[in-house]
Amino acid sequence: MKKWIIIIGSIVLIVAAIFYYVFIYAAQYKRNVNDEKAIAITAVELVSDYNNNESEANTKYLNKALLVEGFVKEVGQNQEGSTIITIDGANDFSSVFCTLKDVNKNVEVNKKINIKGVCIGFTSDVVITDAFIQSKN
Amino acid sequence: MKKYLFLMLLLSSSYFLHAQSLLSTKSGVAKFNATGGLVKIEAVNNQVDCKMLPSNGQIVFALLVKGFRFENQLMEDHFNENYLESTKFPKASFKGYITNIAAVNFTADAVYKVTADGVLTIHGVDQKIQTSGTITIKSGKASLKSDFNVKLADYKIAGSYIGEKIAAEAKIQINCNF
Repeated sequence: MKKWIIIIGSIVLIVAAIFYYVFIYAAQYKRNVNDEKAIAITAVELVSDYNNNESEANTKYLNKALLVEGFVKEVGQNQEGSTIITIDGANDFSSVFCTLKDVNKNVEVNKKINIKGVCIGFTSDVVITDAFIQSKN
Repeated sequence: MKKYLFLMLLLSSSYFLHAQSLLSTKSGVAKFNATGGLVKIEAVNNQVDCKMLPSNGQIVFALLVKGFRFENQLMEDHFNENYLESTKFPKASFKGYITNIAAVNFTADAVYKVTADGVLTIHGVDQKIQTSGTITIKSGKASLKSDFNVKLADYKIAGSYIGEKIAAEAKIQINCNF
């Protein structure tokens, strides 16, 4: 009798755990770059790595959290209202293009900036998304 | 005097042409919808790179697959790992021409219907496509919209998603403000 209670009890627990994982955890879990340890790099280095060898740079940086340091070249807003920042890559053709997770109105052109975000690859710029501003000097 | 006037006119017209030479944006929007069952499978990408040449209608889109954001993170992970294999194929692009670009007057406010011919590359597979859309000119600014369907099988996109039904054709919506 006792054995049966244990067996049924454990089955119920397992089912509850699966239910929790599929319906509750999966629906709420979100990647947050702010909690991740980032690779610190300058915008100039990042751009030149991508210009030299895109696939090699992808193995190093793609989908990783990066902390990019550089000077603000352009600030704007995308079509959904988020702040977009272009960081100078010391290269006329490509720079680092960042989309912030939130709106930030205190970004100034030509100031030094540190941005943390996920690197999603290279189009004509290195693209960083879900970004946060770390500190300004 | 007349000579100078002519020269000035020539200079200003060349300046104007120069200003019209290339339209580009880095923050175009692409929406993806492959809802097949009850659960919606939708994603948005806000970092579409688009360049368009009004003089001959040449158009280039590039977007990074990892830039698509789903409401559900696990769905996003499945989309990247199992379906689009975005580590192997980080980019999707369209390269082609707007065939009736001559019908668009970039200086007059209106909505113009356009068709584009070109090559769409997704998941490392090239496919020739023809699609239609609109170019809207409003107070001197151009924007481009297009809705089209993509058959997943055409691009060798196959995967087995647990639980949710994925549609055989995905709806793509493009919206770029220049």
